[in-house]
Amino acid sequence: MEKEYSLWADAFRRLAKNKIALISLVIVVIYAIIAILVSLGLLAGNWAEEVGPENVAPTAEYLLGTDFLGRDVLRKVIYGTQVAMTVGFFSCVIAIPIGVTLGAVAGYFGGFVDEIIVWFYTTFASIPYLMMLISISYVMERGLKSMCIALGVTSWVGLCRLVRGEVIKHRNRDYVQAVTSLGGGHAKKLFQHILPNIFHLVIINASLRFQSAIKSEVILSYLGLGVQGTPSWGKMIDDAKQDLMQGQWWQLAGATLAMFFIVLALNILGDALRDALDPKLKGQES
Amino acid sequence: MKNLLFILVLSIFSCTKNNSTSSAAGAEGAQKVLNLVVTADVKGFDPNQASDLYAGNEVARVYEGLLQFHYLKRPYQLEPNLADGMPTVGDGGLSYTFKLKKGVMFHDDVCFPNGKGRELVAEDIAYSIKRMGDPKEQSKGWWLIEGKIAGLDDWRKNGNSDYSKEISGIKVIDKHTIKFTLSRPFPQFLYAFAMPFTYAVAKEAVTKYGKEFVNHPIGTGPFITGKYNQGNQIVYTRNPNYRTVTYPSEGESGDSAKGFLKSAGQKLPLVDKIVVKIMKEEQTRWLNFLKGNLDAMGIPTEQFTNVMVPGKGLSDKFQKMGVMERKSVGLDVTYNAFNHEHELFKDNVKLRQAMSLAQDRDMLNKKFYQGVSIPAQSITPPNIAGHINGFVGEYQNLNIEKAKAKLAEAGYPEGKGLPEITLHYTYNTKSRQIAEVFQQNMSKIGVKIKPVGVTWPELMKVVNTKQSMMFSMAWGADYPDAENFLQLLYSKNSAPGANGSNFSNPEYDAMFVKASMMEDSPERTALYEKMYKFVSDKVPWILGFHRVGYGLSHGWFKNYKFTEFNHGVAKYYDIDNSAKNELKTKL
Amino acid sequence: MLQYSIRRLLYIIPVLLGVCFIVFVLYNFVADDPAITLLGKHATVKQAAELRKELGLDKSYFLQYVDIVRSAFTFDFGRSWSSQQKISEILSNKAGASLSLTIPAFIISMILGISLSLIVSFFRGKAIDNSIRVICIGMMSISYLVYIIIFQYFFAFEWGLFEISGYESGFPAFIPYVALPILITVVTSLGPDIRFFRTIMLDEIYQDYVRTARAKGLSERVILFKHVLRNALVPIITYIVIQLPFLILGALLLESFFDIPGLGGELLRAINSNDFPVIKAFTIMSAIAYMLFSLLTDILYALADPRIKLQ
Repeated sequence: MEKEYSLWADAFRRLAKNKIALISLVIVVIYAIIAILVSLGLLAGNWAEEVGPENVAPTAEYLLGTDFLGRDVLRKVIYGTQVAMTVGFFSCVIAIPIGVTLGAVAGYFGGFVDEIIVWFYTTFASIPYLMMLISISYVMERGLKSMCIALGVTSWVGLCRLVRGEVIKHRNRDYVQAVTSLGGGHAKKLFQHILPNIFHLVIINASLRFQSAIKSEVILSYLGLGVQGTPSWGKMIDDAKQDLMQGQWWQLAGATLAMFFIVLALNILGDALRDALDPKLKGQES
Repeated sequence: MKNLLFILVLSIFSCTKNNSTSSAAGAEGAQKVLNLVVTADVKGFDPNQASDLYAGNEVARVYEGLLQFHYLKRPYQLEPNLADGMPTVGDGGLSYTFKLKKGVMFHDDVCFPNGKGRELVAEDIAYSIKRMGDPKEQSKGWWLIEGKIAGLDDWRKNGNSDYSKEISGIKVIDKHTIKFTLSRPFPQFLYAFAMPFTYAVAKEAVTKYGKEFVNHPIGTGPFITGKYNQGNQIVYTRNPNYRTVTYPSEGESGDSAKGFLKSAGQKLPLVDKIVVKIMKEEQTRWLNFLKGNLDAMGIPTEQFTNVMVPGKGLSDKFQKMGVMERKSVGLDVTYNAFNHEHELFKDNVKLRQAMSLAQDRDMLNKKFYQGVSIPAQSITPPNIAGHINGFVGEYQNLNIEKAKAKLAEAGYPEGKGLPEITLHYTYNTKSRQIAEVFQQNMSKIGVKIKPVGVTWPELMKVVNTKQSMMFSMAWGADYPDAENFLQLLYSKNSAPGANGSNFSNPEYDAMFVKASMMEDSPERTALYEKMYKFVSDKVPWILGFHRVGYGLSHGWFKNYKFTEFNHGVAKYYDIDNSAKNELKTKL
Repeated sequence: MLQYSIRRLLYIIPVLLGVCFIVFVLYNFVADDPAITLLGKHATVKQAAELRKELGLDKSYFLQYVDIVRSAFTFDFGRSWSSQQKISEILSNKAGASLSLTIPAFIISMILGISLSLIVSFFRGKAIDNSIRVICIGMMSISYLVYIIIFQYFFAFEWGLFEISGYESGFPAFIPYVALPILITVVTSLGPDIRFFRTIMLDEIYQDYVRTARAKGLSERVILFKHVLRNALVPIITYIVIQLPFLILGALLLESFFDIPGLGGELLRAINSNDFPVIKAFTIMSAIAYMLFSLLTDILYALADPRIKLQ
């Protein structure tokens, strides 16, 4: 236990020293707060309102201008934050338990169980990702929920593979053998001892999963598989195809910038976490 | 709507771009070459499968039917094509006897003895119609004759695809005479013979090529093309053995002034070669049009203000290029349908009226149709009997106050108590934006709309299983008769039939049944008009538009008259090579 | 080695059966009534039933599954439901356009990615390393779609440097049309590529043998090219080979924006029109390609690094 404690404490110290990573963390927290406020209806609930003339360029009154229906682009960007954060968060919430559980079980028990799980994810991985995504969106009603589920259930394979490999490595380590000799059961070994030791991989994976889900939302919106009836960054970028040639850049700029900061923050945070948590990489960044 | 991208700035650069899709247009010397464009993949050349516009147009260059629409006359009027004169109608409208033209030859092909095309006979017509009814073929045009030709439905069910079996409704009288007998009156029957589904095919070709028949077009038409290989262009050459057919010498008033009668009496087809290019992106087509590689195309939405000066016509720049415009008034109607089997809309005419009153059609017209489309007052489009010119519907024009009052009468003052209404539409950027406008318009009277964009198969699924609350759709005419539109609200056509809104009204049904048995007459028109008003009042749908578009053509492209039914019209088109050489220098 | 390869090849069979099962599930839930879609606006219940029979949709679930498995092993995918054309012909007609875009794009981005990451590794921790890393992360934080929109707008329209869209088949006619899509692919894949290669190379640089080499007085350049690159080759090859099957699928968004008549667009069309035989063919072919290339990866792995023993 002492080993894990020092790993996390050490990691935190390293992270705290990294100013850029801290700023990134703050950005993520701010986005999360905005998303929660929007969900509670306290922010941008009036995005659909016609606030002024259509297609107005950014002014002091409308910081990001208005769209083709005279709606405030800034409000749409803020509303879109909620969509993006929800998609990122819930796709992780779905993908990570699947990936970790299957990977850990396969790696720990090996043998037939392993064969079955490896077969399962190989099958899954060999079907083109986009085809899976589209198919799942088809089966369910369109919208935020189906998008989260589709992104979640299609993105666990990488993590599963990673966890399986790590668990196999740890399974025969001394500390696990020690638990066995003390009479610890499978569950105890797996959940109390092995998993905490590879948990940093999950955290790193989550930060990357989160940002790739946000980016996927744009593609899904382009294909018409995104949220319905409410704004999202993807839909705003989709609109921009036509806006741009009429010289209207603000909707594209608003959505792209909003997305840029959160994805950048998550990327940097993911890197910093890896540097801080992955013992293998320690001492490399001199 | 990806193809709407960036077109605005395009014309500026079009002259600096190098011409890499150049055709061999100028190289053929005296040959007249027509360069046309198609905007989607052409699925193939089987008349039986020609359900979409693109395949239909290509099929009709090679194959022909008994009848066709007169190229110039309006309103649309049938005239004989393979038939020698219009058929004689007997038995109180139940029998139609066609005489065939003599000496009509199929194109040469190895499927015929010695590779020489043989004469078309009455048996071929009988075979082609039977083939539509053959369950093995699964013709996309079966609906057209289903339940109408005596004995054919029974043959489809029990005939085992045996073409030698007698069918009472299809009788070959002699080599050049065929008689059809109907099992019930169907005044629109003749239109079927102008549609590609019924075009004459040769049994030898179908037998020889089997499943690959779809890629081996062998007809009697003015143009010939080899095996279809799904490339990005299709090349046709003039049929040297084409019978003598001449350009019409009369048309509607004004045709003479527009030069549509200059070719009168000339032997068809007028061009030697047609090159049909498949270009799916609008800006690709536009660039090629500007370079003169295409003879005609529609005006891209985003180019509209560049090309047309409101109220005046073409802008100076395009006039100098010798470009001509033509207006196309579509025989269609767009609409947001209510599902009348849904509790909310069933028998709640006031709610439907309230929502229709809150829809701002002028704004939609301006934003999405350049303000030139016609806001629909009822279901039947202009230019066919049953449409009332100048009619203003009581509920088809924006009136927020009245809408609010109606909504309150309907039991939902300011939308209170009304659930969120889902609107399904086929997804693309433009239709999403149109749905967003609808959402915003409805929110002004307190009606909450949730637009859901889906693919066409999914839309069909929710509509056919009656799961949708509202859905967006458009209907284009199969033939120029109001019946083709009015049937969309006939209760017997409920989902999964054409009446996807499941509108059911005994009074309407009675009128429809009566009208559908009537021959074209002033009485029928009066009844159609009564139904027109009925639909306007009962608001079974929130009506959209009868869409109007503009097409452009180069000065060298002659006889390019708009027609809604453009199957087989390429034979009338002409190219003025000297004008082309001159005008091309100005591009 | 041979024995291992054969075993791996045989492993394709159970996976393919699994893929067929997923395809079968999609077939019955996603494409639940293709008949009505295919018949279009005049569909009737009666004709839909007939068509379903004609398409073999009235067979038992088991027989439908067997049909899918059969086509997976015979490569006979039949004809497209919507166009009646042979699927093998559709695929061979469209593959050229896709490959003319994806292959050059892939080769260019790999060469650029590896060279840049060598430079970055050489100057690790220095300003150039840090700035390239920052640029990489920044570039990865912008949506792919935004790149397409902006590049098409500026490079093709504003400055007229490239064709806006379109395609012509045959070399070299296609070059002007695929140039901009290739540029976009290269730009968007550089970020992740460089990051990946850099990590791989740094992993090697901190290995003991590098320390030994350095202690022996070898120059940094020799170490980097002779030792590090050679050892990093294994994960690099894996990374490259595993991406190959996806090249065949084309680039869906690029094909759609630039009007390139490739497989990506065909797949999108098939999905949007419920053309199930085409979807089936795509899924199965790409699954097979994926498995063959993963096998190839493992074999190359063994060849490049004799330390790895295949079990």
